[in-house]
Amino acid sequence: MSLQTDSRNFSERTTDGLGDSFMRSAVGSAQDSLKTRRLSAATALGDWEQWRNVGQLIRQHTLENLDYYLEQLAGNIERQGGHIYFAATKEEASSYIRDVIMRKQATKIVKSKSMVTEEIELNRVLLEAGCELTETDLGEYILQMDDWDPPSHIVAPALHKDRRQIKRVFTEKLGYTGDETPEKLAGFARTVLRQKFLEAEVGITGCNFAIANLGAINLVTNEGNGDLTAAIPKTHIAVMGMERIVPTLEEMEVLDNLLCRSAVGQKLTSYITVMGPSSAGETDGPEEFHLVVVDNGRSDILGSEFNEALQCIRCGACLNVCPIYRHIGGHAYGSIYPGPIGAVITPLLGGYDDYKELPFASSLCGACTDVCPVRIPLHEQLIVHRQKIVEQKRTGTADRIQMKAASKLLSSPALFGKTLRFAHSASRMMSKQGRIVRGPALLQGWIRSRDLKQPVRQKDSFRAWLEQRKGGSEQ
Amino acid sequence: MRVSIFSTCLVDLMSPNVGIAMVEVLERLGCEIDYPASQVCCGQPAYNSGYLQDSKLAMQNMMLAFEASDYVVGPSGSCIAMFHEYPKIFKGEPDWELKAIALKEKSYELTQFIVKVLGVTDVGATLEGTATYHRSCHMTRLLGEKETPFQLLEHVQGLKLEPLKNSDNCCGFGGTFAVKMPEISEQMVDEKCGCVMETGADILISADMGCLLNIGGRLSRKGEPVRIMHIAEVLNQRQPVVSKGGSRT
Amino acid sequence: MTVTTNKSANRNTNKEAFLNTIASKLGRERRTEVQRPAIQEFIPDSYGPLTTDDLVEILKEQCFFIHTQVIESTPEILQQTLSDLIEANGGGTVMLSGDRRFNEYGLAFPDAAVWEETAGRVENIRRAESANTAIVFADCALAESGTVVLESRPDQGRSLHFLPAHYIAVIERRRLVLRSTQAAAELNRRIQAGEPVGSAIQFISGPSNSADIEMKLVVGVHGPLRATYVLI
Repeated sequence: MSLQTDSRNFSERTTDGLGDSFMRSAVGSAQDSLKTRRLSAATALGDWEQWRNVGQLIRQHTLENLDYYLEQLAGNIERQGGHIYFAATKEEASSYIRDVIMRKQATKIVKSKSMVTEEIELNRVLLEAGCELTETDLGEYILQMDDWDPPSHIVAPALHKDRRQIKRVFTEKLGYTGDETPEKLAGFARTVLRQKFLEAEVGITGCNFAIANLGAINLVTNEGNGDLTAAIPKTHIAVMGMERIVPTLEEMEVLDNLLCRSAVGQKLTSYITVMGPSSAGETDGPEEFHLVVVDNGRSDILGSEFNEALQCIRCGACLNVCPIYRHIGGHAYGSIYPGPIGAVITPLLGGYDDYKELPFASSLCGACTDVCPVRIPLHEQLIVHRQKIVEQKRTGTADRIQMKAASKLLSSPALFGKTLRFAHSASRMMSKQGRIVRGPALLQGWIRSRDLKQPVRQKDSFRAWLEQRKGGSEQ
Repeated sequence: MRVSIFSTCLVDLMSPNVGIAMVEVLERLGCEIDYPASQVCCGQPAYNSGYLQDSKLAMQNMMLAFEASDYVVGPSGSCIAMFHEYPKIFKGEPDWELKAIALKEKSYELTQFIVKVLGVTDVGATLEGTATYHRSCHMTRLLGEKETPFQLLEHVQGLKLEPLKNSDNCCGFGGTFAVKMPEISEQMVDEKCGCVMETGADILISADMGCLLNIGGRLSRKGEPVRIMHIAEVLNQRQPVVSKGGSRT
Repeated sequence: MTVTTNKSANRNTNKEAFLNTIASKLGRERRTEVQRPAIQEFIPDSYGPLTTDDLVEILKEQCFFIHTQVIESTPEILQQTLSDLIEANGGGTVMLSGDRRFNEYGLAFPDAAVWEETAGRVENIRRAESANTAIVFADCALAESGTVVLESRPDQGRSLHFLPAHYIAVIERRRLVLRSTQAAAELNRRIQAGEPVGSAIQFISGPSNSADIEMKLVVGVHGPLRATYVLI
């Protein structure tokens, strides 16, 4: 999988999403329960707004000094005998990992969920190299067994699937004979995956945060698969987006609290682990540890008007409150990063050619901005995208002409006065019984599903009423 | 107290009753009303669509129109929230930045003005019926005003308020979003209509005409007999109404 | 040898170019010294002063939500408490960490396997995988989140906490702190003072779980199916 999960256009993808009633009801109820859980976990922390301030401060400080902290991290990892590799592109990242595995002559690989490994197309590269690869996060494993169905949520990747679909996949691909209760399905996966862990030669994980002054990475999970992936195989390769770093455990602690509460409404998830290369005398954990730091377009965001998007800690809270995501689902975004944060970063990483619709797939309701634990002004970043897309004349001629004309009218008292005078009679041709029934493209979008009454006659308008009353008090 | 009315283009074009109600309520509370006639639109449609330069013309017009005002009050959380964005947009533009700040500081959404500036929560309104209130996203989140509509509605005699499920979900209006992505918008407004109907209320109230045009337009298309009222109209109700009075979309 | 040298030289160039790009995008020279913000000053304290008994109550309440049993015991009856728990888990093999506190509290589990350096990777993992119950001592515990904190050591592997089907962590009351803030500050103090810390620091809050199927919570996925904390 790469950043792009579906090469069809946005409107086709959306139609699919809107037509998938199971997915929509699954997403809707997931949103409703996650919202409540997030809110209670956030409230339990006390002054949540202050915690958000601290989260924002930490992320901004780290980004401002990113070169310093990455260098410190590198020194501390190497000091413990670990390896750190800086990959400017996704190709560099995935080839490095493939080469490490080839050198070990390893073929059995376990992975724990990581969005950045999707971004660098690691699975494709390793499968092509002949590796036997197993995703161990339950949701990711389900997707892998279903012929690598793309994830639809950054925290709950298989959110779009129901138990019947999952049972079918397990039955067809793995000979599962149990019933469709989540307990039985998960229990079955536990048994299959336990064996994979025990046989694995290399474990690959993502990285929630790297800790610069310690030379270690932090993994946050509930299932415990991340820990097993890093503890049992002799080689551990961790992959991180270059911005996912904190100075010390103190900052990590703040961000983990914001992350767990925002993502799943837990105070802390079951397993929060800080890990690096094994020390002398320790008998499990990696004898060989590699950390791959990935740029892949991030440095172009750094210092730009989208800099704040790099504050993201991938909690998914913005997806969980987004009314657009609610109805179209994750796949409609055509990216491994869906929802509001996806609509901001996908066009930055993947370009406007493929993703120029995403910034417009928002009613700018601001729910995402409100909920973001590190205060990324998500809906404002969508507006900045829109400005760039307009500047580059990518919105189409019709849109341009209509918006330019409307803007002229809405900034000129004289033209607006004329509009008020003639709006009613001008709309008569488009109306039936006081309601507008046809009109230009923009109006069509409205009246296909909503009634719209005609504009008022000038003599009935508010301004006319004011004048009649006492000549008003106009200046 | 001298108050300049910012009527908003939707009220100008579609909903005179809302403007009239707002003026009557404010006058009853002792305000002296004026109406700077050169006002047009806050610039939000173009700004939110990415037409920054074009939108700034509308914004400049508004800053000039209200330059002499003491207070600017409008019947829309969304349009007032847009005024509050001006300082960010004109940051570093010497001719405009101070004007932008000045406008932001004196602009209030109607209910916000009544409660926070006038210090009134009971305007003496009476309206028999069961209503539910739709919070507009821009008023709640961008302007940050969550409580004042409820403080006022609680004191409306005869009015029973039913809570609206998922009240923090957007109704799907979003300005040009509704016409540019109509399929998605339609699903959003349908879900909102469902929640409105679930309350059993016979009146839907909001402080933003955009949302009301959207939800009301959809309810009307579906033939649902819910009466749509802007909060200004509710606050201007003086005695039990027989059957008419609110603006229907 | 030559190959290795070249590789590490390349890697170094890679790093320099990578970090130089970052500095240039930030519009400045590379930074060699940075003062981190004093975040502790900004973190709100929503609890005020608390006694150990308060912490125990907070821990017990939280453990209810994370499907974790809390048993209050004493050093005198600890052996019995743990034996009862092993029994309740259905008996089977027990695996202990090599923590000296097992001796200090006079605990003895004659048939239990122990995680030990001399056993080596394969054998330790095999023992843990075939154990029905793991018993460990927490280095510290966090009341608010129901968390035990443990560092990896030669006598306490990382996977010991994950492979056995049942997990028992003994918590000494005096090692209870309010929340992760205090634990992180203490660990960071040690790191900055150059004191050794485990190559893995694990914050464990209850049994493993997943909500990946229809958002329904399933307790016990890859790690333990059940977790119990014994307070002494």
